[in-house]
Amino acid sequence: MSAEEWQIIWFTAWVSALSTIIILPFGLGVAWLLARFKWPGKSLLETIVSLPLVMPPVATGLILLKILGRRGAVGGFFHDHFGFDFVFTWRGVLIALGVMSFPLLVRSSRLAFEGVDPRLEQIARTLGAGDWRVFFTISLPLASRGILGGMLLAFARALGEFGATIMLAGNIPGQTSTLSLAIYQSVQIGQDADAFRLLGVSVALAFMAVWWSECLLRRKTR
Amino acid sequence: MSLILKNILLPLAAFNLEVNAEIQGRVTAIFGPSGAGKTSLLELVAGLRSPKSAFIELNGRVLTDVSQGLFVPTRHRGVGYVPQDMALFPHLTVRQNLCYGQKSGGDKAPLFTFDRIVEVLEIKSLTQRGVTELSGGEKQRVALARALLASPVLLLLDEPLASLDRKLKARIIPYLARIRDEFGVAMLYVTHDRFETLALADEMIVLIDGKVAQTGPVREVFSRPANLQVASLFTVETILPGRVVKNENDLLTVAVGSSLLSAVPQALPANSSAVHVCIRAEDVVVARDCDSPNSARNHLPAIIESLAREGPLVRVELNCGFNLSALVTNQSCEEMNLKSGDNVTAVIKAPHVHLIPR
Repeated sequence: MSAEEWQIIWFTAWVSALSTIIILPFGLGVAWLLARFKWPGKSLLETIVSLPLVMPPVATGLILLKILGRRGAVGGFFHDHFGFDFVFTWRGVLIALGVMSFPLLVRSSRLAFEGVDPRLEQIARTLGAGDWRVFFTISLPLASRGILGGMLLAFARALGEFGATIMLAGNIPGQTSTLSLAIYQSVQIGQDADAFRLLGVSVALAFMAVWWSECLLRRKTR
Repeated sequence: MSLILKNILLPLAAFNLEVNAEIQGRVTAIFGPSGAGKTSLLELVAGLRSPKSAFIELNGRVLTDVSQGLFVPTRHRGVGYVPQDMALFPHLTVRQNLCYGQKSGGDKAPLFTFDRIVEVLEIKSLTQRGVTELSGGEKQRVALARALLASPVLLLLDEPLASLDRKLKARIIPYLARIRDEFGVAMLYVTHDRFETLALADEMIVLIDGKVAQTGPVREVFSRPANLQVASLFTVETILPGRVVKNENDLLTVAVGSSLLSAVPQALPANSSAVHVCIRAEDVVVARDCDSPNSARNHLPAIIESLAREGPLVRVELNCGFNLSALVTNQSCEEMNLKSGDNVTAVIKAPHVHLIPR
């Protein structure tokens, strides 16, 4: 495998892992709110969180492009105040992967939190624990297996992301090119052997992540 | 301890929980059939449920006052809670479970030390284990110790022995008695077991369908149920309709079927003549012949209809013009050679014939 290919593999794994870690606190927060509380507009949040699962990824990418572009509300703010851009940079890749894998993290984590007996949280309160202590010493450890499973699913989803990434970050070799973008490009220019090598790598990575995740999630429900 | 429960109103699935009670006892049993709202009442005191209306005051400190919008969060109530399933934290060891509540009580001296509680409840050897490796009785003691280590003012126990078999029950009761006596912690003890109540509680509240049916000292409530519902809850074996036919020198004569019984008026309203006659099986003496005089007022000729063994006792069903249950020991039964069809005399003291107005 060429140095360029190694760079693509390394970049993809690294940016997928980073995006999973970045969405983790937000994903846990949303999952916790959905699992434990009732409030008006809850179903709206549930729907919005799940949208990237069912919307065409390219459409999600287009929405992100409009928001994060230099003329978009968020993109413009970051360009003016911090002097960096999202579009056509690795940061764009990071955000596209994070948004696309967010629903998987939230769904698994929510199920994991719902599986924690609320009675244990109540008892912790009678023992003098406040909300944060209850969350970090009871709810989170008891849900950890399901959350880890969700993180692996999110990571696997990020590895394979294509549509939103190409919309927001383009396919710039050495900068924003991920495994799936590189495979697509190799096929486009007729270098099938390169495409198959990268295909093998992405299958192996995805297989390991999903398999491990399934193991964790299955043991949780037993 | 003083616990004031005023204007409690909590809608439940089948009825409203409505309670007004002042609790002074060291150990107060909340006694009632399943689904009477006993657990919900504990949860209200612990602050785990929000009632529609309620005023709850513990030792002069208001915990809940819905009309003032006051609600002390659970963790600041100083109330320990041992639920029926014990709810030990499955991901922590026994020691970590025990210490969970201890840490956060940092500013005030603990009521009792870790070593003392572990010693009294005899769980020292378990502290390094995971909670899934414990037996039912061990779990129960660990849950109790965990609640105690948080130095509660009041301990709420939700049927702590319900999931244990009879033998284990008898082994745990002394531990609860020790908590009561050595640590002096007040307890609200939810149960539907008469034996547990007698062994541990000094006062009791009888809760039926969300309403307080009777309150008072345990022995008094058990021997003088306020109404038919309460009486049937206490498994008073014989409950018969009767009629007061004579009142002489504070001794009542009650007609039950074709028989006449003597009874003491007790709390019976003066003018009631239609009554329910309640007689507990353990208050009925079975005699072969009654030649020798004794102080009991009621001697009823009876025929034994059946005999059934209940552990160390034998339940004797008698027909003395009406059906009457008696409980005698195995030994007595054998020595007297009691058999179905035998003619005997049922002896009942007048104070044991309890009357409830109809």
